[in-house]
Amino acid sequence: MPAGNSDVYNIVQAKFLATEIVKTIHLNVSIVDGPSSNANRVLALVEYNSSHALFVLVSSRCPPVSFSDLSIETVVPIDQHFSCETEPVTEQNYVTLIIKYRQTKYEYNVEIGKESCNFAAELIRAKEVATDNKTNFTWLEKYFGTMNQSNRNSDPTMSDRSDFVIVRNEMAQAQTTNNRESRLKYQLKLRESEFTQIQEFTIFIGTWNVNGQPPSVSLKPWLSYDESPPDVYAIGFQEIDLSKEAFIFNDTPREAEWQKLVMDGLNPNAKYRLVALARLVGMQLAVMINNQHYPYVKNVSFDTVGTGLLGKMGNKGGVAVRLELHNTSLCFVNCHLAAHVDEYERRNQDYKDINARINFKRNPQAIKDHDQIYWLGDLNYRITDLSNTQVKTLLIRNEVNTLLKVDQLNQQRERGNVLLDYTEGDITFQPTYKFDLFTDVYDTSEKARPPAWTDRILWRGKGIHQVQYRSHMEMRISDHKPVSALFKSEISVIDPIRYRKVQEDLLKWMDKYDNEILPQVTVDETEVIFDLVKFREPQSKEIIIANTGLVPADFEFIKKHDEPFYCKEWLRILPYAASINPGEKCEIRFEVNLETDVENLEDILVLHLKGGKDIFITISGKCQKSCFTQSLSSLVRIQVPILNLTEDEWDQVRKNNTPVRYSVPRELWLLVDHLYRHGLKTRDLFESCALHEELIRIRNWLDYGSQDPIPGTPQAVAETLLLFLSYTKEPVIPFELQDICTAAANNFENCRQLILMKLNDIHRTVFIYICMFLQELLKYSKDNSYDAKTLASLFGDILLRDQIRNSKPQASRGKANFVYNFLVNDLSSSLLPR
Amino acid sequence: MSAGPYNYSYIFKYIIIGDMGVGKSCLLHQFTEKKFMADCPHTIGVEFGTRIIEVSGQKIKLQIWDTAGQERFRAVTRSYYRGAAGALMVYDITRRSTYNHLSSWLTDTRNLTNPSTVIFLIGNKCDLEGQRDVTYEEASKFAEENGLLFVEASAKTGDNVEEAFLETAKKIYQSIQDGRLDLNAAESGVQHKPSQPGRTNLNGDQAGVKDNCAC
Ligand SMILES: Nc1nc2c(ncn2[C@@H]2O[C@H](COP(=O)(O)OP(=O)(O)OP(=O)(O)O)[C@@H](O)[C@H]2O)c(=O)[nH]1
Ligand SMILES: [Mg+2]
Repeated sequence: MPAGNSDVYNIVQAKFLATEIVKTIHLNVSIVDGPSSNANRVLALVEYNSSHALFVLVSSRCPPVSFSDLSIETVVPIDQHFSCETEPVTEQNYVTLIIKYRQTKYEYNVEIGKESCNFAAELIRAKEVATDNKTNFTWLEKYFGTMNQSNRNSDPTMSDRSDFVIVRNEMAQAQTTNNRESRLKYQLKLRESEFTQIQEFTIFIGTWNVNGQPPSVSLKPWLSYDESPPDVYAIGFQEIDLSKEAFIFNDTPREAEWQKLVMDGLNPNAKYRLVALARLVGMQLAVMINNQHYPYVKNVSFDTVGTGLLGKMGNKGGVAVRLELHNTSLCFVNCHLAAHVDEYERRNQDYKDINARINFKRNPQAIKDHDQIYWLGDLNYRITDLSNTQVKTLLIRNEVNTLLKVDQLNQQRERGNVLLDYTEGDITFQPTYKFDLFTDVYDTSEKARPPAWTDRILWRGKGIHQVQYRSHMEMRISDHKPVSALFKSEISVIDPIRYRKVQEDLLKWMDKYDNEILPQVTVDETEVIFDLVKFREPQSKEIIIANTGLVPADFEFIKKHDEPFYCKEWLRILPYAASINPGEKCEIRFEVNLETDVENLEDILVLHLKGGKDIFITISGKCQKSCFTQSLSSLVRIQVPILNLTEDEWDQVRKNNTPVRYSVPRELWLLVDHLYRHGLKTRDLFESCALHEELIRIRNWLDYGSQDPIPGTPQAVAETLLLFLSYTKEPVIPFELQDICTAAANNFENCRQLILMKLNDIHRTVFIYICMFLQELLKYSKDNSYDAKTLASLFGDILLRDQIRNSKPQASRGKANFVYNFLVNDLSSSLLPR
Repeated sequence: MSAGPYNYSYIFKYIIIGDMGVGKSCLLHQFTEKKFMADCPHTIGVEFGTRIIEVSGQKIKLQIWDTAGQERFRAVTRSYYRGAAGALMVYDITRRSTYNHLSSWLTDTRNLTNPSTVIFLIGNKCDLEGQRDVTYEEASKFAEENGLLFVEASAKTGDNVEEAFLETAKKIYQSIQDGRLDLNAAESGVQHKPSQPGRTNLNGDQAGVKDNCAC
């Protein structure tokens, strides 16, 4: 391979996996008679695991400077169905490479030379080694998915691979909402000056209304008027065919005939290629470019708009071609506007319609958004208020300027009604309309139309300098004379090295930006440590989350894998989710409230930022044991206050390894006994709300033990009793028995049996003990105002408490009924264990 | 229709795991910012970084989760393994204990990711040759026995950092092509760029229309 190609070779190799070896490449390949013949192709012969395939890649730049310039257009496996032949192209130093695979044929033109000889030889060699028809081509599958849509269906190996393609389609579709592409384009545009330089191109614009006359003369006097060859030609015709067929079917042999004349008429000192041709009925526009610039043309597109009959037919209107030459977007518009002297407003409207309706279906889509616009055609504006004779007289007197003052186009432009912001060069030529055919004589017919400058060329955009604006009198086959203009236009040319640098810079910058716009916060404390936490003595701690990022941060505490809730039941987080604006802070409160038996507070919270990182917040703290929250079976095993036990002793107790010391817990007995002695006659014993500190004092009295009497009123002791019964590890009537208990509530004997048979000794004793105390209380109902129903419903909810705390006590009535039985019946010996 | 040259077609999720202080966060930072952080605080949680890379002409967005290495977070960080297409398992060549813990990290990885997850072993801080505590050969043997990719790298000098992240991506990409990695599986760790809900494609995209009809 030529040394200069080795960079490109590496770029092509980068399109493939390391194990897929690019054996040889061929640059500057064009497709034969293809619809998108502007794209330059690269052929690559690729080997993987001794199977070969031919790849056709389209390069958006020539030569490609990064592998993102290349997209895979066609993939052809080289096996027994593959063949490759060459055929010379007449009169040129090109050769056509004919690739066949089964029924499909691909043709490419390549320049004759060492490169093409080598490439063809390699292809044929690859075919020779592919004799084994069991060669595995599954490695090609991935590339079918990346091929341009149009080529997919025609691909010979595609038929049975549709599954794969569907997957890839789905993936590609999800891209459409991503705006990275446009962000980059925008940034590149802003920094354009860093990687481009200005180069002057000559652009030849020509327009001619040919009056439906057959194409019979050479166009050289018009198109090759200048000695030196222009770089770009844009040639517009109007009325190439006035027949009904052309109008109705928009199809005419004249298109090709005129185009041939155009190609033949171009400056012989250079070679040109057609970039695009657009036609609507009689309006035709062809853009040609000097061969040497052809590789730098991209994104070619055209559109046509009819504004004629019914406001949409193609007898009037415009045709337009757009392209990018290097880094400058060019747009050429050839129009034929409404006829008749008085119809200048209609012409203004046609102009507006063309602008509004031309849509190139690629960016930029509208005419106005191009860097340079060349507007040409038979604009059909006439000279107002002067008769034929007056005009002719002025022309003879050479008072062109007087005439131009009453030229409708000049007047309408001055008023801002048409072609606003466009420039036109000084007109020094005679009106180009209307001549007797084959003469230079203005209309001598009966209608005797006054001469007019109907055929014009204007431009808009930066860096356009007109050097010629003229008519071509010697072209006599039409009633119009052709007009041409020559421009020196500044085209911004990309320096590939500097471009690559800027592009890489930008990509890096965008990656960085993507990271920067991730939400960012700092937390002043990730370890929250609580002091000794005690039963029902809430504590709280705060941390502060500060948004240090550039975007609002939405945070939320999320649950860990396999956990039901985002924090433990003893913790509350306020707020557990919120949004913080950049630069702002948010205080989060953690509240602990112990209502169950927890040895140590330990939790790791996951503070999640939506779309960003997670922060772990560790919560810790020691808990103080309490007789509240313990199980009855542990409590009946201890004879001393719970905090007087060593850890080991307590551990043994909890494992039920020590003997049962009491029939009911010591603490329960202390509370009930106190009420026996001091509370039976207390009015509303269970209804008053004790002070929090009072309850804490009683809790400590129970947990630590003391010689002093209970520190509290009978009401406070009664409330403590309710608390004690509410927080035992298990309710007195265990959860699993509650349903059958409430179901049996209508019948005391059944209830009695349940208590006797189902409850274990400890729970049964406690239950009976409480009920007997309540019966005692009822003996003093005159003093304390309690009746059995009230006490039954109060204790029913506690002795048969729900599994989920604070849940709605739907079953309250059943529970009350159950307890009621034991308040109004004789409990004496029959219930106690024998 | 297809991703433009500056867009990406895939998202690969990576996790970085290993003992505390081995340089996980520094590796991530070096990869995304090309800078070394000399005194990097312990990661308390899971940090997040992204970068777009190219593999075989495909633009791929790497979504990298850098986890806390402290033992006390181990139980929590386990929830982040799920759905990782790549796992970078890091030890510190100057601290033998971090190497000794690899088997436990590997067990977690194997248990919590899917079989196609690419695991890459990185011996970090190879700039500190003088303090080396684990030989290259030994680690290389461990990697081989366990079917891991392996490289010694330095988050400080940047040596082999790029390579480790890119090689992992190449391996994943290859798995997609070989069909070993099922893109449709929820936990493959590979996804297309999620489309934003509530926005419709106004281009009248043909394939999109077809899909709608199919449901
Ligand atoms: N010399 C040297 N030091 C390094 C390298 N990588 C990291 N360090 C240092 O090692 C320390 C720990 O690095 P981190 O990246 O925070 O480690 P980590 O694995 O993220 O630790 P955790 O977040 O606690 O899990 C930092 O002080 C770094 O500066 C390296 O390649 N060479
Ligand atoms: Mg870290």
